Amino acid sequence: MSSVTVEPTSSSRTAPGRGDALRGASSNELFTRWQQHRDPVAREALVRQYMPLTRGLARRYGRSSEPFEDLLQVASLGLLKALDRYDVERGHPFPSFAVPTILGEMRRYFRDSGWAIHVPRGAQERALKVRDAQERLANEHGRSPTVNQLAQYLELDAEDVLDALQAIQAYETLSLDAPRPRADGEVVAYGDTIGKEDERYELVELDATLTAVLGRIPERERAILRMRFVEDLTQTEIAEHIGISQMQVSRLLRRSLEQLRTLAHASS
Amino acid sequence: MHDTPNVHLSLPSRPENVLLVRQALSGLAARVGLDAIETNDLNTAVTEACNNVVMHAYEGAEGPLDVEVRLLEGAIGVSVRDCGVGIGADPRERTGSNAEDDQHELDGMGLAVIEALARRVELAEPAGGGTDVRMEFPLPDGVALESIDGTSTNTSLPEMAPAGAVELRIAPSALAQAILPRVLSALAARAHFTTDRIADVQLVADALATNAGESLEGASMAVAVTVAPRSLELRIGPLHAGRGESLVETAADGLAPVVERLTDSTRVAPSTGAGETLELRLVDRR
Repeated sequence: MSSVTVEPTSSSRTAPGRGDALRGASSNELFTRWQQHRDPVAREALVRQYMPLTRGLARRYGRSSEPFEDLLQVASLGLLKALDRYDVERGHPFPSFAVPTILGEMRRYFRDSGWAIHVPRGAQERALKVRDAQERLANEHGRSPTVNQLAQYLELDAEDVLDALQAIQAYETLSLDAPRPRADGEVVAYGDTIGKEDERYELVELDATLTAVLGRIPERERAILRMRFVEDLTQTEIAEHIGISQMQVSRLLRRSLEQLRTLAHASS
Repeated sequence: MHDTPNVHLSLPSRPENVLLVRQALSGLAARVGLDAIETNDLNTAVTEACNNVVMHAYEGAEGPLDVEVRLLEGAIGVSVRDCGVGIGADPRERTGSNAEDDQHELDGMGLAVIEALARRVELAEPAGGGTDVRMEFPLPDGVALESIDGTSTNTSLPEMAPAGAVELRIAPSALAQAILPRVLSALAARAHFTTDRIADVQLVADALATNAGESLEGASMAVAVTVAPRSLELRIGPLHAGRGESLVETAADGLAPVVERLTDSTRVAPSTGAGETLELRLVDRR
């Protein structure tokens, strides 16, 4: 564990390979040289010294969001501001001043870029990537992948993949609903795979309320419910049948069960 | 803070369990209407506190990590607690230590992050030893607390969950809809479930969260989960006597016997009191 010491009394290490002029210069000297004499060499030394802290903050605060490089840039801007505004005289260590400044810069960036309201760009792109990779791997291996396999394939954290799965469930705005070719390349219209479902429902014992409400959800959703709960097909198999993604099957299943609950509740 | 937390996670202090805390918080944040930035602040700060417990509280060993979340008037209170060695000297004095290497340390850096993101931070040393990091985050106006607030009794699973299990208590149980699917998905991923089966786990979680309410003895729902390769074991309780079975079988939710059809085995176990515990097993056979 290396340590970057910034107490006024101790001498700081300077960036390796810097000229003799900087060797042995304390942080405080560097701050004075930058803030009072606009010495760019001193500023560069300070930037190097605190870049690990800046990078650490960008990583901690910005996970699962924007591309890391973008965030690091924003965090670095925060560091530059902190270098300008830090007051050596007050005796606080620089990091305790820099951390809120850098985090503040990142928050402002998120706020200004509409990140707070919209689906973050990174998250949206990632959700689509995860969905596509899921399909590709499922086609290759004949079964759906695990989260770790997806993470490895896409070079993401398992947590990023989980968040993407969540996003796919949550965001209607992601254009996930377009019909897509089956594994064999044939595009199937939903209508072709649906039909005769009503008699098949009779295989399941349903109470009167449910039978009534089932008729009120869309045909495609009903077909998916039937395939999963009556015919016991896996979601991947259903996806292949109707030519949509497994994730979309998952979303539709969740949504239609929710709808059924609401309808059943309302009519009971 | 009032007594019963709205969400209480009891976890072994392992690095992978911090993810469960984040998933639970994200679900709760979405439920109470935090925006992406507020959610990120909450997650980042609580992660720092949890990572500190994982890395330092038990000096390389494992111990309990307890995270409690309370929805208060205008605030979300989060307490991250361990029974470990305590913080000792004010970590602020160590602010200078290196950020890159000590990614997980509640040294000055971790604490500075929490201080920058939380509205209030308080470090307490509970009577039994250990450390309690109490944080408060702003809760936006207009959150319908009445639907969340409930007179909840303090419940835990009648039989102690096996060692290494993850335990989750949610009060009132209606909040479970926001939290249970996420936490169970993360655990299913850990058990190497395929996305196909994870989706089933979500459906089961939805069904339980939606339907368990009336079957529960109290206002809160306790779920203990044990993870094994390709297998998840869930215990849900404490339920009124006779309710476990109906929770599995009734068609009260949609097409319905969702729980029965998507789980591999179900069992109702009597609990120490009058009630019972529902035990479910989900396996991914591929």
